[in-house]
Amino acid sequence: MPEVKKLSDGIFEVVKDKKQLATKNLDPGKAVYREKLIPVQGTEYRTWDPRRSKLGAMVLKKFNINLKENSKVLYLGAASGTTVSHVSDIVSEGAVYAVEFAPRSMRDLIRLASRRKNIHPILADAGKPDSYSHLVEPVDLIFQDVAQPNQAEIATRNAIRFLKRDGYLLLSIKARSIDTAANPKEVFKAEVKKLEQAFEPGFEILNAKDLKPYHEDHLGVLAKLR
Amino acid sequence: MKINTWFGTLETDRVGEILESKLFSKDIRKLALHSLSLRESRSNLPPEGFDLKAAAIKCGFAESPAEYYFLLHEVTLEAAKLQVSSAITPDQRIIQAVEALDDINETTNALSERLSEWYGGYFPESELGGEDLALFIVKYGSRENVSSEDPLYLKARNSMGAKLEPADEALLKGFAESVLSLYERRQQIEAYIENSMEQVAPNLKHIAGPMLGARLISLAGSLEKLAEFPSSTIQVIGASKALFKHLRARAPSPKHGIIYSHPLVNTAPWWLRGKVARAVASKLSLAARIDFYSGEKDPSLMEKLEAKVLQIRTLNPRPPQKKQESGVKLKKRRRK
Ligand SMILES: C[S@@+](CC[C@H](N)C(=O)[O-])C[C@H]1O[C@@H](n2cnc3c(N)ncnc32)[C@H](O)[C@@H]1O
Repeated sequence: MPEVKKLSDGIFEVVKDKKQLATKNLDPGKAVYREKLIPVQGTEYRTWDPRRSKLGAMVLKKFNINLKENSKVLYLGAASGTTVSHVSDIVSEGAVYAVEFAPRSMRDLIRLASRRKNIHPILADAGKPDSYSHLVEPVDLIFQDVAQPNQAEIATRNAIRFLKRDGYLLLSIKARSIDTAANPKEVFKAEVKKLEQAFEPGFEILNAKDLKPYHEDHLGVLAKLR
Repeated sequence: MKINTWFGTLETDRVGEILESKLFSKDIRKLALHSLSLRESRSNLPPEGFDLKAAAIKCGFAESPAEYYFLLHEVTLEAAKLQVSSAITPDQRIIQAVEALDDINETTNALSERLSEWYGGYFPESELGGEDLALFIVKYGSRENVSSEDPLYLKARNSMGAKLEPADEALLKGFAESVLSLYERRQQIEAYIENSMEQVAPNLKHIAGPMLGARLISLAGSLEKLAEFPSSTIQVIGASKALFKHLRARAPSPKHGIIYSHPLVNTAPWWLRGKVARAVASKLSLAARIDFYSGEKDPSLMEKLEAKVLQIRTLNPRPPQKKQESGVKLKKRRRK
């Protein structure tokens, strides 16, 4: 029988042939992308591929992602919901506000959300948090993966509006979407600085690491409000 | 202070206590439409850190967090659906149809060839192809069943083709039916495109014809983009292969992209095609702009184009002397 080890709330390591990151399937019997479903003693786990998910990579790179069963999450850049589905597994009693601005991706996200009650899809530009401020409550975690040049600014605006005082910001920064020619290290340094000085009192950076070998030229950042 | 939320309008005091609330009814669709209407509002936003869920429960919109989330989920889902369905504009539908048509054409041609190859062994003299052949096979199956009124009756009787066994006949008939239904689907899509073009881009349709007009929109990506293209670009849309060759190897610039299939261009004598194509492209560009910005049909566009082409033809009745036409051009053309 596969062996299961709990890594943190809602996140597991399942050993079947090899070690695999996994979450408990909130929608048993149904896979979202091409992940595997592994039943263990009446519970179904879904494998979580760190190469397809920045958040999955962050978990394996020992970022403390601070999620609990009833956490509220604002997810910016939800795409078609690959990672959102795992967040939805983790915060089974909480809520995921999934913001995405591409209608094409939103179609997939709608399909996912209609099967998972804790996902609230929002078609909007994450750079304009005012446009969804009538929908979103204060959250425990903002996760952002938008791959946009102004990602630090987007994170800041959303944090000011929606992040609880004791909440966390988790960010995936893609070097090439900021400056295609520059050295990734320099880009990362500049982005982290922006976060620290973006506003008063600014973010305190708790952890910043690249996401190799799962993602090239990506930096993971964990921060909280100072 | 007044606050707009997805479930109602609240009046709060300085410290955020709710003084008054005007709650909406729990009608999901109405709530979704209302939520969408709030996207652009710049005033009465909830202040930073405002707890919507607590407020909704406090003023009695929801009895519990569970009910709050249930309603929120339904409303966000409905709103997102409304947005996504309106994100498909009519010109995008035309583009989808054009792409589907291309796929169908490709498949139909391949299957038709297969059918003709296959049936050819049993009735090589039929000289039928495409839809006619499929119809024939569905109707008769084996050539032995051809009725005496059919023009192919004699050929069928005297054919040197092999005898068609019942099992093969059933297979061929089924295959022919599939091919036939593809032809029907093709007609259906063409009718759809024709109809949509009349509504979305009547001037473009008038100048280009429905199919060429739809292809131009499809290649440009949208009616908006087509309207923004200079007419020199419209002239070479769809000639990308030739265009890249021109840029890379300084081959002669292509004179015409898919507008080559326009009747005014492809009936023009060879020495005028470039000129005519330019005239057609300039009117197509104008037509796309009118369609995108005003949508009113202007019948005089076509008259002007025809007059212009007539003028080009009368001014250049004879082919130019081939003296300084560079050799490069001729060579390139022959190689193609
Ligand atoms: C790298 S993908 C996210 C992948 C996703 N996080 C996952 O792991 O499944 C980035 C997404 O962000 C979206 N995006 C980019 N800029 C955005 C913005 N300003 N507002 C909302 N979404 C945005 C893109 O459309 C794209 O779907």
